[in-house]
Amino acid sequence: MEKKDEENSVIVQVDKTVVKVTGIDVKGLNIQQLEKILLDKLKSMVRVIGVTGESIEMDVYGIDEDDILREKDGIIKAIATADGITLSDLAQISSVEKIKKVDFDKIPEYHEGTCMKERWLNVH
Amino acid sequence: MFTKAVIIPTGDELKAGIVLDTDSPMIMQTLLSINGGCEVRRIAPVLDRQELIESTIKKMASQNDLIVMIGGSGGGHRYSSTLGKDFTHSSLEEILEEKHSSKMYGKNGHMWCKLVCGKLGDTLVINVPGPFDEAKAAIGAFKQKYIENENDLKSINTAMMEAVKAKYSNVY
Repeated sequence: MEKKDEENSVIVQVDKTVVKVTGIDVKGLNIQQLEKILLDKLKSMVRVIGVTGESIEMDVYGIDEDDILREKDGIIKAIATADGITLSDLAQISSVEKIKKVDFDKIPEYHEGTCMKERWLNVH
Repeated sequence: MFTKAVIIPTGDELKAGIVLDTDSPMIMQTLLSINGGCEVRRIAPVLDRQELIESTIKKMASQNDLIVMIGGSGGGHRYSSTLGKDFTHSSLEEILEEKHSSKMYGKNGHMWCKLVCGKLGDTLVINVPGPFDEAKAAIGAFKQKYIENENDLKSINTAMMEAVKAKYSNVY
């Protein structure tokens, strides 16, 4: 059968900071519950974007890096209250990075099958 | 109207039991609200490998008239080596015969979400993002547009993406 493809794109102009927490044990995590705990703590939307057995990576919307770092102990304590998370002695916020805005006109066009990440190496 | 539907969650973290699958019950409830007489099944999570996802979709398409894929909709590993592997949308792009897709980018230029709505044979295939609130918004929009016109792939896909995008409306 002939393939018929259509595609459209939208851009959301949202500030977010990517936060990674390491030094934890994760098993049976209810992400909804964790996001609610962090929403109550930070008063801003949080989305968990990556989970392994030892770490959690999340997007925190509308809060800058410095504010997150100021709250780091409170964030760790809040995370520990979620079902399925156990803190180790090494529990910490290991990285905090606010996304950088780019000029979409300067991003080279992506072609399927090529490396998407390479397009960003010289943009920021 | 679909009479046999299957929900296919994806993700190594689901398969390993690191994360609970709260999306599937919610999606099943929505599908049953569209057609209470249908058969809906949720299969075991598929690992984040493109060939596994593709083969599962092909197998399920021969047995169902609606497939709902969960997760693997972002840029993931293509932008960050520490994130999970997002192969659902690329699998759908590869195997669907007729389709419409929508991509959402953040201001950092990274693709945050790609939704695809298409056909494999007579089977309708859609995907929703992994985060619960976005998945709920997407499947809710699917329900509304599917009831209006189940063959309008573009309308279904566009509405699903608009619903996901709206989840960010209170933070910008």
